[in-house]
Amino acid sequence: MEVGRLPISASQRGKLISAGYTTLASLSSLSPSDLARDLKIRESEALEILKVASHDCRLDQPEKSNGIFTGAQTAWEMLHEEQSFPRITTSCADLDNILGGGINCKEVTEIGGVPGIGKTQLGIQLAVNVQIPVDFGGLGGKAVYIDTEGSFMVERALQIAEASVVDMSHYNELLRKELRTCQVEIQPTDILKNIFYFRICSYTEQIALINHLDKFILEHKDVKIVIIDSVTFHFRQDFEDLALRTRLLGGMALKLMNLANKYNLAVVIFNQVTTKHKEGSFQLSLALGDSWSHCSTNRVILYWNGDERNAHIDKSPSLKSASAPFSVTRKGIRNSASNHKRIKLM
Amino acid sequence: MTPQNLLVLPLSTPKLSIGCPILDGCLGGGIPCNSITELVGESGSGKTQVCLQLTVRAQLPPSHGGLGGSSLYIHTEFSFPLRRLQQLANHYQASHANLIGLNPLEDIYVHAVHDAQQMVHVLRDIETFMGIGHTRLPVKLIVIDSIAALFGSQYNRTPADLKCRSEMFFKISGKLKALANKFGVAVVLTNQVVDVIGPADGIDGVRLGNLECLHTSARRVSPALGLAWAHCVNSRVFLSRHEESVGVNSPYAHSTSISSQTQRRLHVVFSPHLAPASAQFVITKEGQNLGRSARHQYLHPISLLVNLMMKTRRAIRRSCIETLNDKEDKKWPPFMHLFDHNSPSNISR
Repeated sequence: MEVGRLPISASQRGKLISAGYTTLASLSSLSPSDLARDLKIRESEALEILKVASHDCRLDQPEKSNGIFTGAQTAWEMLHEEQSFPRITTSCADLDNILGGGINCKEVTEIGGVPGIGKTQLGIQLAVNVQIPVDFGGLGGKAVYIDTEGSFMVERALQIAEASVVDMSHYNELLRKELRTCQVEIQPTDILKNIFYFRICSYTEQIALINHLDKFILEHKDVKIVIIDSVTFHFRQDFEDLALRTRLLGGMALKLMNLANKYNLAVVIFNQVTTKHKEGSFQLSLALGDSWSHCSTNRVILYWNGDERNAHIDKSPSLKSASAPFSVTRKGIRNSASNHKRIKLM
Repeated sequence: MTPQNLLVLPLSTPKLSIGCPILDGCLGGGIPCNSITELVGESGSGKTQVCLQLTVRAQLPPSHGGLGGSSLYIHTEFSFPLRRLQQLANHYQASHANLIGLNPLEDIYVHAVHDAQQMVHVLRDIETFMGIGHTRLPVKLIVIDSIAALFGSQYNRTPADLKCRSEMFFKISGKLKALANKFGVAVVLTNQVVDVIGPADGIDGVRLGNLECLHTSARRVSPALGLAWAHCVNSRVFLSRHEESVGVNSPYAHSTSISSQTQRRLHVVFSPHLAPASAQFVITKEGQNLGRSARHQYLHPISLLVNLMMKTRRAIRRSCIETLNDKEDKKWPPFMHLFDHNSPSNISR
């Protein structure tokens, strides 16, 4: 019974079956109002069922695409695909909120900030969080971590991984009190094992690795995030020909975007900041120049607001410009502590 | 290209202990290998002292907090503080007789460098030097004291020169990081501070790391070389000092006098693996940096002794100079011989 496999509530499933809708095909030509009348449910609910059914239907028959040429998708299909795919959480609820739920797959997200703001911490956190199993609302993927600055510390990654495992088992206890059998089987060392760590010592190596990534990910299909910490470092030493630098960076960005699309993975690029002379005063801006700023889908700037770390969405096609506080704790990236206090006081 | 297996690497990076449990605690065990640690502080804050102690301690076996290796010491200002190093080496020779070579100074390679361009060439030579591996112990520590002096005079404050300068930062740092990664060495750099004048919104007022602003000797300062350089180091540690005037009636001084006590403090400004922390420390003849942590106000017993005696510091300074000439060595208890008055960082003031 095909309807039985649909991810809908049991009562909805019962109503469908009792009304005689057992196959996906029987649902495909229905309008929401017809279904609502037959099942005696609200129209919005019926629409939800049809959405789920049509999505499932498409997954069953991928060759029957209604695109103009192979590989093309309609915006409707893409929306479904995006919604069906979980986002990678940053472990900070406020930050997830402004990011629309976390770091999105198929997108290139650039994150920049001053030294000591927590860029590397966020990178390690994402490399750990991408591995949260599907049962816990994660992706259960693996991470590629490209370290150009030598700031990745195994002991810190282990610390964050341990905290993440503890959090997962807490979550388990809260949600599945009745199901004691479902234990967290993941170990902190397993998390480290699933981070593919590359240490890069020159810009030629960096370009070579990005070119090689396609092949690497083809062999490791479960890689769901590529983190580059930072893209900038080797490109800030003597480049006499700035046009060449722009071309190399542009080529690299294009490859990363293709990777993100082709393998349905998230690309997170860290950038440094520099000062820019603007209207008579010096201002902070992300490094690598104006042409580079077009190379990412989303741009997030991390900055200090008094004593608090803040993240600001600087550029994004789908997210509104917003700021949120976060903090770097022993456990990793978390909600800002002062925020907690405020809630407690209220 | 294949990824490194993180489980094959030691779960904790090898660390070079400073030799004081509290300071080591702040730094998560010491100065990490494969990474650049920067010590920032005004002159006389103890940067050179820490560096010298590290060069000697690096020779201890890993079981005793060392790296079992020799060190390269590149100095860019003043003359190399040989006598102070000799003093430290003698102390370690005496206290760790069977763990350290007969003459610790033999395993410290010293080189003077005076400008940035020369530094790039020297780094290339260092790579060949380390590659050949003719040293008795493998090189495990590179010290550059100080990085700021390399950029002291060459570059003007014109945009073109500043651009050249920051490219040079990334070039030197890139080379150092490559060396650190290739040979698994710890890199320690020292940096000077510049005064911050005016309100906090200038470009020098950009907050980097845990501390809102850095204070030393009641001045507001910021590390030299600016924002671009801050991107070039992995960890930044700030050493501050504060003079406190204390009236003492010292049995050692000839009369009651106003003397001053120096409070030195180490702060972790930023680091990929460390939480914000700070601790107080003192410098003794033996070079042990006995500190107390800021949070717990934990006082190390020996540190207490030293702190009490610190009060007479000014008063006995003159004697200290004589002590160095070994004239009155036996008169004072060992902890009394505080700071080497002739050390390079003091000459500048």
